[in-house]
Amino acid sequence: MSLKMQDKGGGWLTRQRQKDYTPYLVFTIPLAFLVIFLFWPLVTTFIRAFLGSGSRFSLGPLTVSNFERFATSNLYRGSLRNSFIISFSVVFFTLLIGVPMGYFVARVKMPFKRLILSLGILPIILPSFVGAFSWVILLGRQGFVRHYINMVLGVFGLELPSIYGLFGVIFTMTVTYYPFIFLLSYGAFEAVNPLLEEAAMIMGSGRSRILRTITLPLVIPSLAAGSILVFIRAMGNFGIPAMLGGDQYVLPTLIYFRVNGFWDLNGAAAISLISVAITGGALLLQKFIVSKREYETISASRSEYKLHSHPAIRIIATLYCGIILIISLAPQMTMFIMSFFTRWGAAGPEGFTLTNYARIPTIASRPILNSLFLATTASLLCAILGSLVAYITERRKPRGALILDLAIMAPFILPGTVVSVALISGFGGDSWLPLTGTFTIILISYMIRRTPYVFRSVVASLSQLDPTLEEASMISGANWLYTFRRVSFPLILPGILSGTILTFATLLQELSTTILLYSSNTRTLPIQIWGAVADGKFGEASAMSTLLIAMVFVVVYGMNRFLGQSISSSFKVG
Amino acid sequence: MSSSISYKNVQKTFTGSQVVHALKKVSFTIEPGELFCLLGPSGCGKTTLLRCTAGLETLTDGRIFYDDRDVTTIPPFRRNIGMVFQSFALYPHMNVFENVAYGLRVRGIDEKSIRNKVTDIMELVGLPDVLRRNPSPTALSGGQQQRVAVARALVYDPQILLLDEPLANLDAKLRRHMRAEIRRIQKVTNVTTIFVTHDQEEAMAIGDRLAIMRDGLIEQIGSSDEIYHNPNNAFVSNFIGKMNFFTGTIGSIRGEHYQVQLDGRNSALSFTPKVSSELKAAAVGDRVTVGFRPEHLRIKPKAPDHEVLGRVRIIQHLGQIIRYEVVVEEGAGERVIEVDMLGTVPGVGEGDAVAIEFSERGFLFAEGGEVA
Repeated sequence: MSLKMQDKGGGWLTRQRQKDYTPYLVFTIPLAFLVIFLFWPLVTTFIRAFLGSGSRFSLGPLTVSNFERFATSNLYRGSLRNSFIISFSVVFFTLLIGVPMGYFVARVKMPFKRLILSLGILPIILPSFVGAFSWVILLGRQGFVRHYINMVLGVFGLELPSIYGLFGVIFTMTVTYYPFIFLLSYGAFEAVNPLLEEAAMIMGSGRSRILRTITLPLVIPSLAAGSILVFIRAMGNFGIPAMLGGDQYVLPTLIYFRVNGFWDLNGAAAISLISVAITGGALLLQKFIVSKREYETISASRSEYKLHSHPAIRIIATLYCGIILIISLAPQMTMFIMSFFTRWGAAGPEGFTLTNYARIPTIASRPILNSLFLATTASLLCAILGSLVAYITERRKPRGALILDLAIMAPFILPGTVVSVALISGFGGDSWLPLTGTFTIILISYMIRRTPYVFRSVVASLSQLDPTLEEASMISGANWLYTFRRVSFPLILPGILSGTILTFATLLQELSTTILLYSSNTRTLPIQIWGAVADGKFGEASAMSTLLIAMVFVVVYGMNRFLGQSISSSFKVG
Repeated sequence: MSSSISYKNVQKTFTGSQVVHALKKVSFTIEPGELFCLLGPSGCGKTTLLRCTAGLETLTDGRIFYDDRDVTTIPPFRRNIGMVFQSFALYPHMNVFENVAYGLRVRGIDEKSIRNKVTDIMELVGLPDVLRRNPSPTALSGGQQQRVAVARALVYDPQILLLDEPLANLDAKLRRHMRAEIRRIQKVTNVTTIFVTHDQEEAMAIGDRLAIMRDGLIEQIGSSDEIYHNPNNAFVSNFIGKMNFFTGTIGSIRGEHYQVQLDGRNSALSFTPKVSSELKAAAVGDRVTVGFRPEHLRIKPKAPDHEVLGRVRIIQHLGQIIRYEVVVEEGAGERVIEVDMLGTVPGVGEGDAVAIEFSERGFLFAEGGEVA
């Protein structure tokens, strides 16, 4: 080999020295991170699923006893069934609510469109478990609104089902997740070229026929993407079923129960495996559906929409959007009011007080600092990891880039509780790297779960970035690092920032991963709120939630002002 | 400072979903200070050859030398070259000065020299005033962006300047103006320059020498005059200028004089053609392709003794010349022959039947070396 190289290349060594190795060095850092903190825990989780129940990790005889419980135990069967019922119902109801709302805002002439769009995003930015306990105040056994609804329903001999149980979980998840459908379908209805509809009209189609034969088929890919997103979220949500499920378990709460109640990590691993299989299957299904229904925009020219302007339609649309917004934001308003009162009776809030806020420094100063520390550190690490991997996989395309790409996106289908189980499984007290109970393990879980946000966002910026800009820099004499610093980085910075800030906002309110990983030293604000709700201290929980929401809001609003882009565009992940 | 560029058996194969042999054993040399055009239809490999020259693509095989320095595996940033991209690739987050100064800052030159050099180069490319306002390049017109891109590529005195279809994004009038400007700037700086284009008129106007490429191979290298008057094959002859082709069989050869029996004609064509290099050993009975440039054909109103008969389809007035498009029946179908006349032919209008006369000055190519 060396001989042949000699006469061709002026010395093999010289040639090797002339190569630019920086990208390869940078490539190994994220790879090492993923191998240690993602592959290893997942592998141990996979193995644990086939070990006997308990938490011992040994390569002893393998068994499927953990899975047999899905056939024998009513609790397991019920959890699996509930997860499916809830996820499918939530998809169904979010479509039912979100699609008309998207259509109205996109196509009907109505006031306050921008306001509706901004308010519409709130339920998915705000922590979902806050919504859950607020609904208890409104629709619980002594619920204030429940009282009036039952008065009306009583006339027909009906009664509102209990908020504790499937009804409550489905209802709360629906009003939490409908914005995904609303915003995606709004975007899709907006994007359909009006010329296509006008062409159909000229050929003699009526409005409803156009909607059925032209518009809906064109927005189906977006709706499919949105539905899968909602399905995966509903499948993985821990906070809502934990607070409202009552005696009805779902897979994430069953995992929590297995780990915290029985310390049966191997059993939890088996449930995790089932859960991942379901979300993974859903994602494959979506890819299949979308790939068959990808439409290119054929023509560059388009005309303006003629918005519906009939007064009846305008009134219906405005009322509809208003009512949905009021219902979906009711929990946040309730929580805000509740934070100033001692309790909420059948007639309304009672006993105005500021004690709830006054007690925050005593009960929550450590958790607040922990939350800020964890969210900030993890966001910065996600920013570095996500941008590097995005840059390498997009631009350098080294061998193995596809694996990196898949690995970084994999946590998208891993519910938070599953990530926790995997990390405990890989880094438990008796493992080679004991991390349980530390800040590090929470940081790692946050990085694993949120790096895809930054990654997606940077990949989107990179695809807008003309590669010849980087080539021009190399030609000018700049090496890879200089080019990255002076050309690529400044141009993808907006993408990095928006991904990072979104990460920060969602990490401040993270519950489903933290719940299995926190220790007395590493309690976060959401954990503290969760504990207050469990103790029935709704006033304190509301005050802390108000503070949390204020922090999230400041960050997201700041990003909007700074980057000058709409919040909704940051959420087009899926 | 400018150096020669030599290609030795350069090969480039793209392996992906399908294997593409973009360059197949290309070998030639570009002289120092030369303005060299790479010309060919899209997909011929000209841009690949340019990117290989820059080091933006790795060769599959072969070597590239700047003077006698083997640069084959040297990354672009250690080559001291300048390049202008089709999209101009100006940095949108930097102003004009920062764009032009970029390569100087990379080289760690002091700010005072940078200021001087940037001012000088902006003077050379004809934009001395732009520096005073110093806007973002996105605020400039296409022609100004082009000049900034040229300035940025030349400011650090590169050994070699590479231009990748630099005029493709400009409108027709500006394109003609800018190609003269590029030639002027190139002659002032005397930097060895490769200019890639698919526009033969542009290549002929600007290049000291041209290389015509097709399917990853160089078909011919020479000055535009040489290539126009002595094309190596039918493809080149029709790519540089227009050529009308006829097929036939050699009837007799007497010195430089040939008699060719054209297919589907009664009488033989007797003329003294330029014989392409691929036909050195032509013999009586060989199948050949005969080519005539539009200006070497004449049309006359129909008369019984004239050979090729056709019908005028369109008459175009192209300034000094008049181009007649004549439809001729051939086998089952029909084809168009273009004839350029110095003035209108009396008594011939669109739709009229005409006779076509061949002159002495035709071309003889190997058969099947088909046309662009």
